[in-house]
Amino acid sequence: MKTKTRILAIDTSCDDTSASVVEGRVVLSNVIASQTELHKPYGGVFPTVAKQAHKENINRVIELALKRAQTKPQQLAAIAVTQGPGLAPALEVGIRAAEAFAQEHSLPIIPVNHIEGHALSNLALPKTQLSKKHAQPKFPALAIIVSGGHTQFISIPSIGKYEIVGTTLDDAAGECLDKIGRMLHLGYPAGPVIEEFAKQGNPKAIEFPLPMTSSGDYNMSFSGLKTFARNTLEEITKEKALNKQQIYDFCASAQYSVFRHIMYKLSKLIEKEKYAEIWLGGGVASNTTLRRMIRETIKPDGLQLKVPYTRRLNQDNGAMIGIVASYKLESANENNGTKKIDRKPRWKIETK
Amino acid sequence: MQIIDCAHTPVKDIISTARKVLSSGGLVIFPTETTYGAGVDATNPVAIEKLLAYKSRREGKPLSIAVTDKEMARTYVEINDQADQIISQFLPGPVTVVCKDKGVVSPGVASEFGTLGLRIPDYQLILDIVAAYGKPMTATSANASGKKRPYTVQDILDNLSNTQKEKIDLILDAGKLPHNPPSTVIDTTLETPITLRQGEAAFNAEMTQKAITQSEQETMDLAGKIALQHWNDIAKTGLIIALDGPLGVGKTIFTKGIAKFLGITETITSPTYAYVEEYDYTRHQTSGRLYHADIWKVASAEEASRLGIDEMLGPNSLLLVEWFDVAKDYILSVAEDKKVPVVHIQLQQDGTKRILHISDIETTSYEN
Repeated sequence: MKTKTRILAIDTSCDDTSASVVEGRVVLSNVIASQTELHKPYGGVFPTVAKQAHKENINRVIELALKRAQTKPQQLAAIAVTQGPGLAPALEVGIRAAEAFAQEHSLPIIPVNHIEGHALSNLALPKTQLSKKHAQPKFPALAIIVSGGHTQFISIPSIGKYEIVGTTLDDAAGECLDKIGRMLHLGYPAGPVIEEFAKQGNPKAIEFPLPMTSSGDYNMSFSGLKTFARNTLEEITKEKALNKQQIYDFCASAQYSVFRHIMYKLSKLIEKEKYAEIWLGGGVASNTTLRRMIRETIKPDGLQLKVPYTRRLNQDNGAMIGIVASYKLESANENNGTKKIDRKPRWKIETK
Repeated sequence: MQIIDCAHTPVKDIISTARKVLSSGGLVIFPTETTYGAGVDATNPVAIEKLLAYKSRREGKPLSIAVTDKEMARTYVEINDQADQIISQFLPGPVTVVCKDKGVVSPGVASEFGTLGLRIPDYQLILDIVAAYGKPMTATSANASGKKRPYTVQDILDNLSNTQKEKIDLILDAGKLPHNPPSTVIDTTLETPITLRQGEAAFNAEMTQKAITQSEQETMDLAGKIALQHWNDIAKTGLIIALDGPLGVGKTIFTKGIAKFLGITETITSPTYAYVEEYDYTRHQTSGRLYHADIWKVASAEEASRLGIDEMLGPNSLLLVEWFDVAKDYILSVAEDKKVPVVHIQLQQDGTKRILHISDIETTSYEN
């Protein structure tokens, strides 16, 4: 009989409760209970503070993930769960659920780093690719993680080996846009609204500063852009409120400044280090302007940008955790029986 | 099912037909500046059921309503300052403004969180119909859930089952609509502070010390000094440092100063996304933990209580809370229970300078 490779994967690192079934890199189901799957009020993220919501959702999310993948617990090789980084009480809910499920069905638990999930999310394949041959990624790869919670450059010499070569020193890129949007009274999270409005604005209308050009490293800082946005807004709105076009222009300029900062550091990085592939993950990876700017930045070096096959894989989700677990399952010694694990709210992806 | 060709029918006739259909609980397919919409009287429960059956598989997704103006909107939703501003700036236009529902529309229209989307379509015919009818019409897109966005009547009909088609009473056919994207949705219901300009310090001036810093380094040093002043409190009971001030004023810089004082070498990044970040520290043989919390995304004290703040307090722990004001009463009551002192810091910006208003809050005498 063929060795079992199917994995049930759980992520409860922050606001969303998610469970997924994967087989190798193929995603059989990927249920995300935020507002998207179970509530969907206008597609936004409702900031229900995690723990309670996760507790309410976790079991039905797991059931739904198994059902959609037409998978019975007996068909599973392991259960994977996000161990960190994330909000401690939220992580706890997923880990406890994984332990209970593992106990009940005598499965090993594979603990996974959430950032590693984002980093490898582009390797996921749709269900139609089941039992087909897949092209293998080339190394070294550079993963760019851009989300509401993280902004990092991660060097990947091979799967399982990671080095953070650049990171934000304060706010995440997505958070900076959310907050600037909030200053413009565009609700929360305002990132997607900014993206929409930016399409109708002039990105050069307001010249934001380009941070950290002389730091000599690949780290980023977005809080200065936020402060610049606030001061500029105070100045402009002293006399009268912004009109529609001014808001569009402000959105376009703010978004451009955030992405330009990432591009500046990215171009310095690929000038110095040689990569075979560039991977993009995280919530802001859905932004088409960001994708276009990265493609333009890496094109002179003959590099291609790899993004997940669906935008669902950009947000926090279980499938990306499953992909990481599949690689871990391949390297044998991870599979050593059920164990108890502890949450690691500040777990760094680095392996050095 | 009646189909009216809008280009060749007097507007007056279109309006009166639409009015009749709406008042008898009927379903109207109508053009807007985005896509074709499906409309019924939003205050008629039977009509809403019909619409939900037409859309199928809503899975709890709320509907939006079309109104003529802000005044009409006020009957159905609460319009806070933020919503007011957005309505003035963007409506009529392709923006859905999410507000708190007042419970006037029928069940099933508002979201399960008690919010309702508001549209003022930039399409005169629809504004005229709603004005003539005097009640809001639902403004959901006319496709069945999960189907193609409808820019022509054919787009809609091609993707409907016969049962669904039978539910349509009237189609206002305005031909092929320009391919504009669906409306941008802006949720204005979060009570997150959106301070751009903060008023004068609301705290008792006599108890408040004022410090001015000229650089990030000075702000960091000052933070360390404040922690040092309270070192005994930290060791004995734990300490809460409550930070307030507008976005981008330098609250994270202040926290970096605290971390440096505690000997934490990790980079302190914003905790907004995860709500709380934890850092272990060791300073002069004392080991403890710094909790850096940001409750900016939290809308209420009840939500703040789910973060487990009470579990974080104890000897050698330091809890730094950004946007303290959001859940002030809750945090102060927890501090009182645990007998943990609270230092309140309010940051202001004046050009390149930062002004810090520092006050100790006596939680033991705090009444609530």
